[in-house]
Formats: sequence, C-alpha cells, structure tokens
Amino acid sequence: MLSNIPLSLRYATALAVIAAVALPFLTDNMFIVNLAVLMLIAIIFASAWNLLACSGQGSLGHAAFFGIGAYASTLVAVSLGITPFITIFIGAGVAAVIGILIGLTCVRLKEWFLAMVTFGFAIIVQTLVVSVLAPMTGGWDGIPSPRLVSPAIPGYQLIEYYAILLITIATIIAIWYIMRSKAGLAFLAIRENETEARAAGIDPVRYRLLAFAISAFIAGIAGALQIHHIGYITPELFGVDNSFWPITYVILGGLGTIAGPIIGTVALTVIWEGLKETGMTFARYVIIGIILILTIIFLPKGLVSLPERLVEWMARKKRKMETHPLTGK
Amino acid sequence: MEDLSIILQILFWGLYAGCIYILLATGLNLIFGVMKVVNFAHGEFLMVGAYITFTVFLFTGFNPYVILLLSMLALVGIGAIVERLCFRPILGTGKLNEIFLSIGLIYIFQNGAAMIWGDAWQSVKSPYDGISVPVGPLSVPLDYIIIMVVTALILCGLYLFLKKTTIGMQMQATSQNRKGAMLVGINVERIDIISFGLGCALAAAAGTLWVVSGQVFNPYMGAIPAVKAFAIIILGGLGSIPGAIIGGLLMGLAENGAAFLLGGIWKDAVSFIVLIVVLVIRPTGLFGGKEG
Repeated sequence: MLSNIPLSLRYATALAVIAAVALPFLTDNMFIVNLAVLMLIAIIFASAWNLLACSGQGSLGHAAFFGIGAYASTLVAVSLGITPFITIFIGAGVAAVIGILIGLTCVRLKEWFLAMVTFGFAIIVQTLVVSVLAPMTGGWDGIPSPRLVSPAIPGYQLIEYYAILLITIATIIAIWYIMRSKAGLAFLAIRENETEARAAGIDPVRYRLLAFAISAFIAGIAGALQIHHIGYITPELFGVDNSFWPITYVILGGLGTIAGPIIGTVALTVIWEGLKETGMTFARYVIIGIILILTIIFLPKGLVSLPERLVEWMARKKRKMETHPLTGK
Repeated sequence: MEDLSIILQILFWGLYAGCIYILLATGLNLIFGVMKVVNFAHGEFLMVGAYITFTVFLFTGFNPYVILLLSMLALVGIGAIVERLCFRPILGTGKLNEIFLSIGLIYIFQNGAAMIWGDAWQSVKSPYDGISVPVGPLSVPLDYIIIMVVTALILCGLYLFLKKTTIGMQMQATSQNRKGAMLVGINVERIDIISFGLGCALAAAAGTLWVVSGQVFNPYMGAIPAVKAFAIIILGGLGSIPGAIIGGLLMGLAENGAAFLLGGIWKDAVSFIVLIVVLVIRPTGLFGGKEG
C-alpha cells in the first residue's frame, strides 16, 4: 500500500514531519510554539471537516462537534478527575454519537438543506449550553478546564506540543487509511453519483452516517485538545466563525485531499499572523475572503494542485516559444 | 381579556417580523428561481442596505422611508457586481462551491462594513417614533403599520413586474426552463444579473425596514436573518414566492410565540428546531416538490 506513493510525496511528508519535530529546537519563542499547537489543532479540525466533505456533505456547523467534544471532555475530566489524555476520547465519543443523530436528519437532504441544518444545529447547541445546561456549563461565562499537561511540570509546553503533534500525525494516518479502505471509496462514490453508488451495492445512508460519526469524532478531539490547551471553555466555541475556519483552510489547501487541510491551514495561519503584524483588524478577514473567492474561481483544486498547474503552464509557454508565430514551426 | 391582548400582541409582533423575513426570503427565492444559485451571504446585503440608509439619513436627514428607494437602487448595483464577478464564473460547478463562495462574501462584506462604519451597534430614529395607533384592543407603533404597508406595496410591485413587463416574463421563462429561454432568444446572463440585483434590492428594503422599526444593527447582524430566510424558503418550497410569504409569516409567529413562552434566548434556536423537524418529516420541505 505504501509503495504506490510517489517518491516526491514521501520526501515532502518526511520533511514536514522533521520540521514539525524540530520546531521547538529552532526557536525559544514560546509564542511560536503556542501558535504551532493551535495550528496542529486546526489541522485536525480541518481534516475532520474534509472527511465529511469527501462523502459529499458540506457542513456549515462543525463548530457544534468541536464544542461538544470540548465540553464533554471538560465536564468528565472535572467531575471524575481523570486526566484529559483519556477524556479527550470520551468527549470525542460523545461528539460522534451526536454526530450520528444529526447525521440521521441529514442523510436524505440536498447539499444546501444539509448546510442549513448543520448551521442551525450549532446555534441550537449553543442555546442549550447557555440556557438549560447553564448550571453545568457556566453559561456565557464558561468554566475553567484542566490543562492537558499541568503547568507545574517543567517544560510542560514542549510535552504538550509533542503530545498534540503525535495525536495530529495519528489522526492524519487514520484518515489516510480510512480514505483508502472500502468505506473511503464508498464515500467518494456517493459524492460523485449516489444513484450509481447504490447500483454498485453501496448503502448511501450507512456510509453517510459513518462519515458523520468519524468526522464528528475527530472534530471532537480537536475541540477537546484546544480547550485543554487554553485551560478555559466558553460557548463562543460554537460561533459561526469557528464553523467557517475549517472550510476556509480546506478550500485553500485542496478539497478532498489528505494534504489539502494541512497545507491550507499552514498557509492561512502564516498569512493571518503576517497580516496581524501590519496591524490590520477587519481588513484581515476581507483579505481572507478575497483569497477564498479567488481560490474557488481560479484554483478550484486548491494549493495542492498548484505544482501541476505550474508545470502545465510552463509546458504551454514552452510550446508557444518553440513554434514560430509566422511559420508555425 | 388580558390573555387575548397578549395573544394579539404576539400575533402582531410576528406579523411585523414576518414582513422582514418575507422580503429577504422572496429575494433569495427570486435568485434561486432564476439562477438556481444558493447565496448564503444574502443577509450581508440586508446589512449593507441598512447601513446605506443609515449613512444617507445621517447626512441628509430625509425620511428613512424615502431613503429606502435609494438604498434599494444602490443594492441593485452592488448585487449586479457580485453576480458578475463571483457567481457567474462558478455557475454550474456544483452546489458546494456556491456555499463556499458565499462564506468568502460573508467575510468580505461583514468586515468591509466594519472597516467603513465600525462595529458598534447603531440605530436610526424614525420620524414617527413614539406615535402609537389603536388597533382593536392593542396600541401599536405607527412604524409597524407603515412597515407592513410598505412590504405589501413592494410585493405588489414585484408581482406586477414579474407578470406584466417583458423582463419580468423573461425572468419567469428562464426560471422555468433555462435552455428553452436561451432557445427563444432570451439573454439569460442579463436576466441573471437583473434577478440577482433585484433580490439584493429586496434585501436592502428588508434592512431599511429593520432599522426604521428601531432595531439596532451592526455589521454582523445579517447572518441570522439570512439563515432564517433560508429556513423559510425550505419550508415554503424552493422557488415558490407564495410559499415564501406564508413561510415568512409562520416563522415570524413561531419565533415570537417561542420568545414569549420560553424566553428571548430561544428566539433563534426555535426557527432551526422547526426547520429540522420539518425536514425530518419531509426532506423536500413543506410545500417543496421535485425541484431542488
């Protein structure tokens, strides 16, 4: 299975992993390490959204699963006193169960109906968290959440960084295997043509639910990690912004690819932080919006397709150079 | 007697909120009907319309109900530009692309507006502020009645435009059968631009009416009404304008009823709960047919 990966891609992967491992040795600046942690979490989140999109379901409310994972993990960790390293997966499990429930309402819906339902679902969850569940969740004020690695331990930031890096790599490998398994192929078949997929013996409802469950699980992990990293949780997690970020990352990087969410997240984070240096506030979002729209129109397969597009463009230019404009030779 | 007046009060509030939703949903429906495009950024046009009215009002002090026309005209232009630059290049490349593109538009419009006008809450004082009219046992603000009349006028105008003018009939033809419309010599791309502009103008009208009724607004206010407008057209059936009107009224009533019974915090969530329940029972919407 590994042998059919092109050599260049293997080198690129190795390079990326080495760079990620070496990062804390290259800089003493904890701000950059902290940024890298948030970036890794965003990569997990974007990959989760991307997996669901691979089955043809574009969610506009993934912040719901992100937040559910975070709240469930926090509440379990606080009430039972278990280490966050275990509760992360409990939180993700809760997110997956709720993902299946919301998936059940979505499986028969068209793209934009599904987008609406998921968008609305995030708002419903937020409303529940600040009203009915407020005694438990602290309402709008939020509650403190146990840290992934206690700040009392020396070098806790580095331990946390490597733990999250490990989880990120494990998640990406897991997604890679899923997308190459029977289930992954079924997702793609359903996305391309549901009727034909059905004719080939694929049960679209079952596989769509599976995609929802896996995606919600991974998004839940991301949410729980972020909250245990920051150490505080508020209902703002369910905000529209938080639902839109993974979409922006994936579209820029390349929809439906493993590398897309990673490249998109890294590129956008660099752009975002770079713009912050120039003192922009609202203008940053305007620029992100313009980048998003330009990508959709001119580079529909994202940054991942940039190398092949460049090669294509060079070849075309070369062909033009070789043929004489008058004689055509 | 007490109970009756409370129920009437809720009905009246629902009717008023419904008017805004109807305008927004009708605009969306017009765009969807003709172009089969779903614009999730439609609420941003409502917001821009509100801000244009606000700015003109600030500088000239004209009656905001007159500025409404100017705001609608401005949004026809903005809508046409957005259609030409953003939606036309991706027409026919898949529904998900339209949703993603809308997200880009939401970023641009919300934060562009915040750059121009700041992100503080603003409001416009209507010249009829504080005047109340007795309607049955209720005493209702004059503004609400004007808003209902204006909405009715705009909808009648739209009806006449669609039924009596050549462009209106061309729009109907395009919405029924795009290829057929092309075959009989209708310039469908021109019809697209006009429909998009018109849809945006209706959003601007909704935004203006929103602000003159005394509601506060900021650059991020458009998202929730827009998504509710979507819920409405899903309930009322995609592309059906009468459906949008009935759906808009129902949504206004359900929301204000829920706010009264459960508390204001449930106002937004209730519309989505209604939507999800309806979609679980009927995946194509309440009155939706095969289309969509």
